[in-house]
Formats: sequence, structure tokens, C-alpha cells
Amino acid sequence: MTMKFCLLTMVLVFAAIGDKDVAADEVDFNRDIRPIISDNCFACHGFDKDARKGDLRLDQRAAVTEDRGGYSVIVPGKPEESVLLERVSSSDPDLLMPPSDSHKKPLGQKSIETLTEWIRQGAPWGEHWSFVRPQRPTVPKDASHAIDHLVRQGLIEHRRDLASQAATHTLIRRLSFDLTGLPPDVELVVNFPQTPAEQDWDDLVTQLLASPHFGERMAMWWLDGARYSDTDGFQSDSTRTNWPWRDWVVDSFNANKPFDEFTIEQFAGDLLPDASPEQILATCFHRNHMNNGEGGRNPEESRVDYVLDRVNTTGTLFLGLTLGCTQCHDHKFDPISQRDYYSLTAYFNSIDETGAAGGRAKPYLKYKSSYAQRAVDQAAELVKQTESHLAAMQKQADKEFVPWLLKQVVRAKRGFRPWTVVIPERMATTEGYKLRLESNGIIASSPAAFPQDDFVITLAKPELDRISGLRLEVFPHSSHTDGKYSFSETGEFILTNVKLLLRKRGNSQIQEVALAFAVADVNGVGVDSSYKTVRETLDDDPRKGWTTRTKPSDVPHTAVFALEEPLVLSHDEELDIVLMQRSLAPRELMGQFRLSVTDQRGAAVRSLKPMPLELLAKLNDANLKSDAVESNIDGSLRKQLFSQFLEGHAAWKEAKRRNDLAKSQLNSAKKSAGDQSVMVLGDRKEPRNTYVLERGVWNKHGDEVSRGVLPAVLKRSAEDVATRLELGRWIVSKENPLTARVITNQVWQLFFGAGLVRTPADFGLQGESPTHPELLDWLAVEFMESGWDVKHLVRTIVTSQTYRQDSSVSAELLELDPMNRLLARGTRFRLPSWMIRDAALKASGLLNDAAGGSPVFPYQPPGVWQDQFMGRFVYRPSIGQAQYRRTLYAFWRRTSAPTFLFDSAMRRTCEVVPRRTNTPLHALTLLNDTTSLEAARTLSDAAIVASPKDLPKRFEFLMMRVLSRMPTADEAARVLLRQYAVAKDYYDEHPDEAEALTTVGQLASPNEEVVADVAATMLLANLLLNLDEGITHE
Amino acid sequence: MSNALERTNESSQDVTRRYLLGRGAGVGLGAMALSVLNGEACNGQVAATDKLVGTHFAPKAKRVIFLTQSGGPSQIELYDQKSGLARMAGKELPASVRNGQRLTAMTAGKKQLVMPAHSTFRRHGESGATVSDWLPHIGAIADELCFVKSMTTDQINHAPAMTRFLTGHHLPGRPSIGSWFSYGLGSSNRDLPEFLVLLSKMKRGSDQPLYDHYWGSGFLPSVYQGVKLRSAKDPVLYLRDPKGLPRHLRRKMLDGLGSLNQVRHEQTGDPEIETRIKQYEMAYRMQASVPELTDVSDEPESTFELYGPDSRRPGSYAANCILARRLAERGVRFTQLFHPDWDHHSRLRSWCTARCRDTDQASAALVLDLKQRGLLEDTLVIWGGEFGRGVAGQGKWNSPEGGRDHHPRCYTIWMAGGGVKSGTTYGATDDFSYNVAENPVHVRDLHATVMHLMGINHEQFSYRFQGLDFRLTGVEGARVVHDILA
Repeated sequence: MTMKFCLLTMVLVFAAIGDKDVAADEVDFNRDIRPIISDNCFACHGFDKDARKGDLRLDQRAAVTEDRGGYSVIVPGKPEESVLLERVSSSDPDLLMPPSDSHKKPLGQKSIETLTEWIRQGAPWGEHWSFVRPQRPTVPKDASHAIDHLVRQGLIEHRRDLASQAATHTLIRRLSFDLTGLPPDVELVVNFPQTPAEQDWDDLVTQLLASPHFGERMAMWWLDGARYSDTDGFQSDSTRTNWPWRDWVVDSFNANKPFDEFTIEQFAGDLLPDASPEQILATCFHRNHMNNGEGGRNPEESRVDYVLDRVNTTGTLFLGLTLGCTQCHDHKFDPISQRDYYSLTAYFNSIDETGAAGGRAKPYLKYKSSYAQRAVDQAAELVKQTESHLAAMQKQADKEFVPWLLKQVVRAKRGFRPWTVVIPERMATTEGYKLRLESNGIIASSPAAFPQDDFVITLAKPELDRISGLRLEVFPHSSHTDGKYSFSETGEFILTNVKLLLRKRGNSQIQEVALAFAVADVNGVGVDSSYKTVRETLDDDPRKGWTTRTKPSDVPHTAVFALEEPLVLSHDEELDIVLMQRSLAPRELMGQFRLSVTDQRGAAVRSLKPMPLELLAKLNDANLKSDAVESNIDGSLRKQLFSQFLEGHAAWKEAKRRNDLAKSQLNSAKKSAGDQSVMVLGDRKEPRNTYVLERGVWNKHGDEVSRGVLPAVLKRSAEDVATRLELGRWIVSKENPLTARVITNQVWQLFFGAGLVRTPADFGLQGESPTHPELLDWLAVEFMESGWDVKHLVRTIVTSQTYRQDSSVSAELLELDPMNRLLARGTRFRLPSWMIRDAALKASGLLNDAAGGSPVFPYQPPGVWQDQFMGRFVYRPSIGQAQYRRTLYAFWRRTSAPTFLFDSAMRRTCEVVPRRTNTPLHALTLLNDTTSLEAARTLSDAAIVASPKDLPKRFEFLMMRVLSRMPTADEAARVLLRQYAVAKDYYDEHPDEAEALTTVGQLASPNEEVVADVAATMLLANLLLNLDEGITHE
Repeated sequence: MSNALERTNESSQDVTRRYLLGRGAGVGLGAMALSVLNGEACNGQVAATDKLVGTHFAPKAKRVIFLTQSGGPSQIELYDQKSGLARMAGKELPASVRNGQRLTAMTAGKKQLVMPAHSTFRRHGESGATVSDWLPHIGAIADELCFVKSMTTDQINHAPAMTRFLTGHHLPGRPSIGSWFSYGLGSSNRDLPEFLVLLSKMKRGSDQPLYDHYWGSGFLPSVYQGVKLRSAKDPVLYLRDPKGLPRHLRRKMLDGLGSLNQVRHEQTGDPEIETRIKQYEMAYRMQASVPELTDVSDEPESTFELYGPDSRRPGSYAANCILARRLAERGVRFTQLFHPDWDHHSRLRSWCTARCRDTDQASAALVLDLKQRGLLEDTLVIWGGEFGRGVAGQGKWNSPEGGRDHHPRCYTIWMAGGGVKSGTTYGATDDFSYNVAENPVHVRDLHATVMHLMGINHEQFSYRFQGLDFRLTGVEGARVVHDILA
């Protein structure tokens, strides 16, 4: 039994704060006893009748003390006669409880002593604390603040008091992040009184609670719990348009809608008399679950999943109960039966839904959002801007066109060859067909028995500077079956895939060169009709491909393939052209074919028509006299040539790309401004029967059940709670012992990093007891009695001295209370990742703080969606101001959460436990994410404008923006100045590098004279944005 | 000896650990559940050693390479030869065999007509294992492998079945098997994450997306989730510093950052800051170690010859197999490859063979390569998917266009190295490869067995979340398949 020192220390520390020293004290059943027997006994001797062993339950006093034929498990007041103690401390492994095959440890000495003492005191029983209605504890009239009074009560025995108040700027930041999710304006910090009075804090809180950002901040909490997402999840992961509900949540918090109304509308807004569209919209809450539209899926199975998800979400978010456990069996710990569970599902079982996904997930509400027009206006403005930029680029290109054209004329005069025949360096096959080169570059294969094969034609550097397209000609031949194209029974050929592989001498790796487009003179239909068009050769799917069957079979056929980007082959590179013929039709492989390449791009390789330069070459000499060349080329040919020219014009192409994006952004904004289909609740005419599902399996019907609420929580007759609406009212009934506590706890958790109950999702027997039971109850009662006033609750919490404490910690206090259960200090915890992004936007000045509307697309590294979906979804970051919206509005793909949110809730099921970890991936994200870098660049620009020459002033500017405080002399001199100087020296020497660094996001690099200064300041801003202080709730 | 894994019975273990680690433990990443309790954390050397610590008993395998074949590879075409099927071709599957088995919505209500395998088989090696001619390379190393022909699951659709296969539960939200190991065992490499995931790059849009919860950490801290190694310029997201920022300036910047953070640590006393400083340093090291890992220019020609021509193409399954071996060499605990598109509802002969060509040579090469480097004995290689395919033809049973529907009742996987018996076949199915005839191995049993090989008693390895103790193997009971242990 060895355990090194540090661990031992830890355990003792927990003993100090986690439990009380019971020996001298009165034993409290809920606090001291229930955790021991729940943890160790209830799995086999608890509420679940099916799991119960030895016909013994230990979760009721009557059962524990009953006479079991000459003995009782517990004899109150007589530890020596209580069999319980005998069994838990037995040295006989056959008698010992819990038994070894339960994989539970034997009880520790301390637990046994506690049990003994409890029995000696008469084994008083108590109802589990959270199932008893909270009573407001008495707080002396002269107490300055109820919260502080109740927290101090817990500190007395440790002879401690609350910590001193945090520094003013720290407290302003804390309030600003907590109430709006954003750092404070610099002006606010600067103008705030040096020694603020109570009124100053009150005013600040009032101001922040009135900010429209308050609702956004609170919504982020609610969306995680509500598993809100913009897609279905699962196989097809279709997009849904439920975002008006998200805006409804924001509006509700901003309007301070009482929490009971907020709840009732989400449960049953549709059932309210004369329900408004917004009240129906609210019910989307219960439709935010994932939808599974997988091909082989039985929709009914999916529908049942959704119903269960609603109950589980209700359990976690409102009741703090792990109801999911009762899907398959009675709860092992809490007094909730499987039957109770399925009675709850009955309220959600008659929604007029089918279990379908995608666009067929009725019922829907057609809803027009009042927030959508702003996005349309902004997008229209952007289209204008990008259009005029594009026009300017076009004008510039126009000027450059004539000299280019003259060069082409010269080329055309020399004789233009549209296609250059490939003379292979090597030829190979995978399975064993033999290839030979004939005249004119024609390649012939010999008849063979292999049903399938790949032809690999290797090309060394051609005469061309670059390759932009590939042509394949397939020839009929008299030696082939029926004089057609192959030696197979049918004489047909099927080309399944075409691949280009680039290899470099001395490098063992090869690179695939992407093809963008394919076109053929004819497309036929195979015996297996999935073989058709030449476009089917571009993917990796051998089940599809190109055939000319059903088309004339005595003429050559041609296909042209366009490369995504022109390929420049260097002398030490080779290109493998792989022609895969892996169809189901045996031996349908080309007998004679020829490959050619071209350097022409654009329309030239997207059709089989003559290329523009070909046409140019055909003009007679007289028309090509250089001085009149332009006027001699007719309009349509000129247009073709010009568009080919533009294909190679980088600046024009970039302008075009942005303009295209702006236009598509405008289109989707317009679409979002019309009627949106929002998934909502609505009952079908014929209610469905509800059954207990055996082992939770969707079609294993057990007993039929009718609607009913959880008797252990708040008993009500079936008639009293007959509808979904009444269920909503039951949830927020003032007699419900759980809801107010559970919600208050979650709100507390937002501001303290951890709840008063450290298991926010479990207020049941296995959950932790509150660190401050009286405080939790006081808050819960206050919340209810204020009329479920959320802003009042928030104000109450953040005006306490408990909230205002300094978050620094002495080694001694850390030792005593590492998890801050005493609340003898402020808590320091990393801000949620979404807040870190928003803070960077705000600090830099990039933030577009518009409210509401359809989702936007913040920067994400390229390829994330493509990797995961093998190219089915492509992520296109928003351009213009839409890029800088708050994270709340970021598009949430359920199967691939935004990458910049490194440890967010997953939004698959209800989550109320904050995820907060500390990994190198966070570090990399904050160092290198485009948002982070663009914010650093923007900060740098602003700092230089604010202080072009005076460096110390510039550092002050940066620190105020990022940390809301001035640098210390040490920080400025020892770190900031040196950092700046080193970087500045480097970038003075390397202006190209400075240009590269400062070209980021949507920003072009600054001009040459200042670029080194901007780059060096930007790097400094990057450092500040990564400081622990900047990303931490202090 | 206090049992390492029992540590999870402590409440609020994250904070505990963070607290411990922050206090001079010196282990930033790879904060190891097990080692902490073994007291190893006190000397601050755990992360750097190659010693497996904190297991319940001596492990046979120190690391896992999981070759996940997503979509449901057909055991009937690939491994589970049933010569009797030819006689039954086109006849209806006897009801006694089907015995109420659920079908997917795709084939429910259609006649279940027997379709014999499209492939041919032969016996291999001394063990005489039968392997399809579509997998000649795997066949050739049959004596190294342990086939489990009696795998069974209870989910018939992809996402729930794969979620069950990889997290033990059919709904998303539980930790994946790799993150359990990462949490339990930590890393033996201080420069790389302990759980890495590699997806094959495919051109075709797959019908079964690879959800990130397949390698997610569920309710475990996110530090234990799988890190996706992408075949892109940034193998790990955000790995590369921006253009125009040379490494020496990044170093300088991190020095400045660390120095200001240190000041803050002194002011606040928050141990979390120390951890953050370490994570930034780890990030900096990863910026070197990851490209060094993915840059295969130091591999000799013979490597690529062994793994096949496709291994030269970055992002291919074969190239990922080479990376898997490099990760094993570097001591990474859990490497998981995903190869999608095994969902062959039609045209098995062209479609299934395409996936076989993608994976056959490289899978076999990986086993051989590990062996020749002496790594196979303590590296467990697993090849398998979420379920198998049914004996009835989907579409036309007698046409080359025929395919097969999902089948959860039985399927085949294989394992190699890491303490499993080589050259064995375990379990058997009935004459139709429809039901398990002997020695069923539920996915839970597979999990229990893999854990056993890694030195962990699955019943004693749990994580308390919101008051409940969760295990990878769940509550329904799972057994270690002792018969396949070497």
C-alpha cells in the first residue's frame, strides 16, 4: 500500500472541504449518509425492482429497519445489533458488502465510523434534499447582502472572511464578460470612477443588463442546453432554418421575459389560446434534437428517438435529473420508475411528425424574420462594392489585353496546334493487358482474359509550357468485335475513372492532379444503365463511367478533360495518366486510343468546339496586320479571346471570386428574408398510444401508459396535468422543488465557473450536495418570488461582495480549498472559446455587432468539411462585414462543429456541464486562426494610428484594448519593447515577410514604408491576444 | 498497491488532477489518469518515459492501430466462405435462419433471396485460413492474423452501429475507445498527442460521413479526444504559423508570452496558468514533431514498394498505413485509420473490389512492417467495421449489379500482434453466414478484450460523470475472449 505524498495531501484536503468532521458533530442523513449508501448499495438494493438482490432495499427507512426474521439491517440506536455494520466490515469475502464482484471497493474506515455514529444517533432518515421544496432561509435584516451573509456562514468555521474586492478594471471586465460576453469599451474603463461607489457599480450593471448583448450572452448558455444546431446531424446532415428560434431566445432574454413564461412557451406555445407566431416559434426548443435520415433507417425508430430526446433534455436542463437512465430500467438511485419515464414521453408522443429528416421534418411554422432585411442591405452594399472593384479590374485587364492578343497573333501566324499528341515515356497496366504504341500516337491493347484493368500512360515534359487539358480519342478498328472499340463480347468500352498522378524524380511521393471538368462528343447508355456520361469518370466510383454504347459505333469518339489548375511540368517530373476501366462488363476495355494535351484554358477545354486561337489562326493574313488586328477580329471571337485571357489574370480572377461570393451571399440573404420553415411542435389529430419500451427499444412495446408527471418530484393527478401545456406549467410550478434550483444553479455557474451544485445535470441521489444549500435555496425562492425575473436574479448575484472578490489565491488557501468550494475568493477560469473569439473581434474593432438573422460563416481552415464528407459540403467563409459577426450567429454543422471553438458543447444532446480544458490545440488555434491574426493586424493598424511614433503610448493603447489596463513598467520595458524591437529589426530586413504576415483575412498589406512597423506591432498584438489574462475570467 | 484505476471513484477528478499537475507535477499533456494515482506524477518524469504505468496488470499491447473500415465490409465476399450457398442461389432464405432479424427500410418487405459470394476463396498458410482472392495480400499473411468470424452487434444502421462499435453506446455522447485509452494510459511521447486519427482522402462523396464523435471524448475532458491528422498543408488544424512569421520569431514571441504569463501566475497563484504555459510549449514542439512525422521523404523506396503504389499518394489509406507505423515507432498510444465507402448495396464486383484494392496490400504491409521492426509484439492491429452484410441479394441476386444490405448479426474482423494468437480463427457462423453458430463476440466483448490486452480490467475502469460511473463496456456485461489471447 504505497501512495506518494502529493496524492495523500490531496485526499486529506478533500476530507477537509468535501466532508465535515462527523465524529463530533450530529450526523446529517442527506449530507453524510445517503452518499455512502447510494454509492455503494443502491445499484443492487435500490429503487430498481428488477436489479434488486436478496429482496432487500436500502433506500427506505421502513425497509431497512423492518424485522427480517430475527434480525434487522439497522436497529436504530444499536449499532452492535445492526447487520449492516457487520456486513460492510466483514473479513469473510463471502459476507462482505459490497461484494467483490460488484467492483466496488470495501467501505473505508471513516465511512463505517460515520454509519455507526448515525445508527447510534437513532438512524434518522431524511428525504433527498432536492425533492423537498426550497424554503427561504432567514437572513438577518442588517445583512448587507443575503448572498454574502450565507457564504460567510460557511467561512466562519474556517475562520475566514470573503477576499478583498477585485481591482476595479478587473471587475469591470468581469461584469462585462459575464453580462454581455464582450470585453468593456476602453472609454468605459477610463471614465469609471477610481474609487467607485455602490451606485457606480449598480449603474454599470443596469447599463450592461440593458445592452442588447445581454440576450446574446444568455442565449449562448441556452443554445448549448437546447442542443441548437443549423443542421440535422447524421448521414445527410441537411441544413435546417431554425435560426429564427435562436433570435427568439435572444429577444426573450433582452425583454426579460419571465422564466416561467419562457419555459411554458417553449413547451407548448402552440397550445396557448390565440397563440402568436412567436409563441409557436418558441416550441422549436423541443425540435432542436438531431434528425436521422439515414437510408435504411425506419422513420418510426427515429421518431421515437426524438420523443425520448425531448424527455431527456427536459430532465437535464430543467429538472437536473438523469432521466435517460430510466429509458431501459427503473432508476437505480432516484425514485423514478421506467413507467414514470414513459408517462412523460406521452406528452411528446403525439406531435404531428413522421420521423423524417431534411426538408420533411414537419410540423413547420412559416416565419418571416424581422432581422433578415439588415443582412440583405449589407449584402447588397457588398455586391455594389465588389462589382465596382471588378469593373475596375476588367478595365485594367482590357488595357493589358491588346499586347497579349498581339502575342497570340504572332503565335497563330506560326501555325497554332490546338492539341499536342502524347508520345508516352512508358506504358503499363495493373492486371496484365499489353499496350503498344502505333503510328500517330495511337496506343493499342491486345485481347486478354482479365475482366478489368487500368492503363497507365506516362508523360514526360511535353513541348508545352503548361498542361491545362487532356483529350482522349477512342477508335474503332476492324480487329475489334464487330469493328467497334474493344475485344469484348459486345465490342463496347467503359471508362470508369480518369486520374492524373504527378511524380517527381527522387521523391517517393506522388501527387494527384485534380480534374475539374469532362465533356465528350457523345454519351451512351450501358447495359447497366449507371454507365453513361464522361463526367462520371471524375470521381472514385467504379460503378459509374463513360460509354458510347447506343451511339454510332463506327466513328472515333472524343472526350476532353479540363485540369482544375494548369500544370507546369518541370524536367524532373512525370505525369501518369491513369485510365481505369473497372466496370462490371468484362473486358470492355479500349482497343485503340490516343491522348493529347493542350495549354489552352477556359472554354478551350470545356467544349469540343474549335478553340479561340484555332479560329484566330484561321483568319487570313490580311486580317492579322498588327496595327489593325483588334478591329479586324469580329466581336464574338474577340469576346472568346478576352475571356480566355481573363482566365489567366490573377487580380481579375480574385475580384471575380469576391464578386461571385458577394452575389451568392446576397442571394442567400434574400432567401432568408422570405418565409423560413421552422420546425415547431403541433399535435396530430389522432393521439398515438404510448407504451413502456422494453429495454428502451423503439418497437418493443410493453405496458401501455398515459400521460403523467414524476410523482417523486411533484405529485399531480393525471387530470391536472393532461396536456403538454400543463406539463410546461408543472415544470415551473412554484411547488416544483427542482426547476428554480436547477436553473439558478446554471446561472450561478455562468458567473462562477462552477455551480453551487457541482453536478449541474444531476440533482438526484448520485449528484453532489450543494456547497451552500441555504444559498441555493435562497436564490431559488428569490427567483420564483421575483416572478422568475432573470435580470433580477443576475443582478442579485453580481452585486454581491461574493461575486466581486479578487480571484487571486494564496498557496495556503489553494491547499485548503483547491476547487473553491468555500467561495472564499473569486474564481478564475478560462473564458468559453466563443467569448475568446468575440473578445478578439471587439478589442480589435472588427466586431460587427448586428443582431439576429441567418447564420454566418467565420473563417475555418480549408478542407475541414470536405475531409469529413468526402467533398459533399464545402465551407465558404463569409466575406465583408458578415465575417465579423458574433459567434452566436456562426453556422453550426452538427457533425463538424466550428473548428475555432476548441472545447464547446457538442450540441448533439443537452449539455449543461461546461467543457473547459487546456490543450496545445487551443494554443495553436489562438496563435494561428485567421480571426486571431486579422484581429492582431487590425489592432496593429489602430495602435499605429493612435500613436505613430511614441512606442510606450502604443503599448498602452494595445494593453487597454486587450486587457483593459495599462502595462506595468516592467512589462513594457522587459517584454513589450524587446518583443517589438526584435520583430521590427527582422521585418526591416525582410519587407517581403512583413508583407506576407500582414496580408491576412480580408486585409491587403499596408504600404512599404510602414509594413515592418505594422508587422512588428501585429506580432505584439498576437502575443497579447494569447495572454492567459486576456482569455480568462479573472 | 492502491489500484490506479480506482482513482476515478474520486469526485471532481478533473479539478483534482489539474490541481495536482499544476503543483509541480511537471506533467502537462498526457496527464495520466493512471500514473497520477500510482504516484508517478510526483517525479515529473512520466510523460517522457516509455513505461506503461497504471495498468491493472502487465499489458500485452502498448499501443493500438485500429484500421476502421466504415460502411460494413461484406464478410461473405471477404472472409466467411460458405460453399453451400451455391446450391441455395436464388432460393428464399429459410425463415428458421432469418428468425425475425430486422431488415433496413431498404430491403424490408422484399424477398430475401440467397446470393452466393461474388468472390472466390483459397486457404492460406499453415493456419489454413480462408481469405477471399479479392484480398491476396491479407491472405498471404493469414498466419499472422487472428480472425474473429463471430462478431455481432445490435445496430443495423451506420451511424448508430459505428457509434456502438467505437463508443460502446449507439447514441453519440460517450467517449470513444481511443479517448478512453488516452485518458487511462496517457502518452509515451511528449511531442505528439496520444490519440491520432487519419481519414482516407476519397474523391467520391461518401454516403457515410465520418462524424467527429467517432473519435470524440464524450464527457471526458476534450484533451483526450482524437486529433485528426489531415493530409493537407496543416496536418493538424492551425499547426502552421502564418506566412511571414519565421520560427525564431515565434520562439521569441512565445518566450515573451511565457514571461508575462509567469508574472500573472505569481500574482494570481492560479496553477492553471502553469499548465497553459506548458501547453503553448507543447504546441511549439508539435509544430516541429508533426511535420517531421508526416514528412515521409526519409522512408526508403522499399517502404513504398511494400505498402503498394497507392502509398505514394498522400492521404490515401496506404499512405496513412505508413504514418500509422511511424506513429507506432514514436510511441503514440492509439492510432485510428478510417477508410470509408464499404457500404456495398449494389455492384459488389466493381465496388467492393475497389475498396479491397485501396486497403489490401497496405493493411498486410503494415502488419509485416511492424513485425520486421519488432513492434508487432506490443502493437495491436485491428481491422474491422461496424457490421457485416446479409446473405440475401439486394437488387437482383443473379446480376452483377446485385449488392447486399446491412447485417448486424454476424461479421468478421481480424486482429494481429499485441498479445493475440496468430494464425487462428475464432467463432463461426451458420451455413448462411447469417447467425453466429459458435462463440459469439459482441462489440462489447471486443472492447473488453482490447482493454485486457492493454492491461486494463474493463470492469474496474470507469469515469464518474454527473454522479454515474460510466464504462466503455457499459452495464450489460462483457467478457474478455480469453481463447484468442496468446
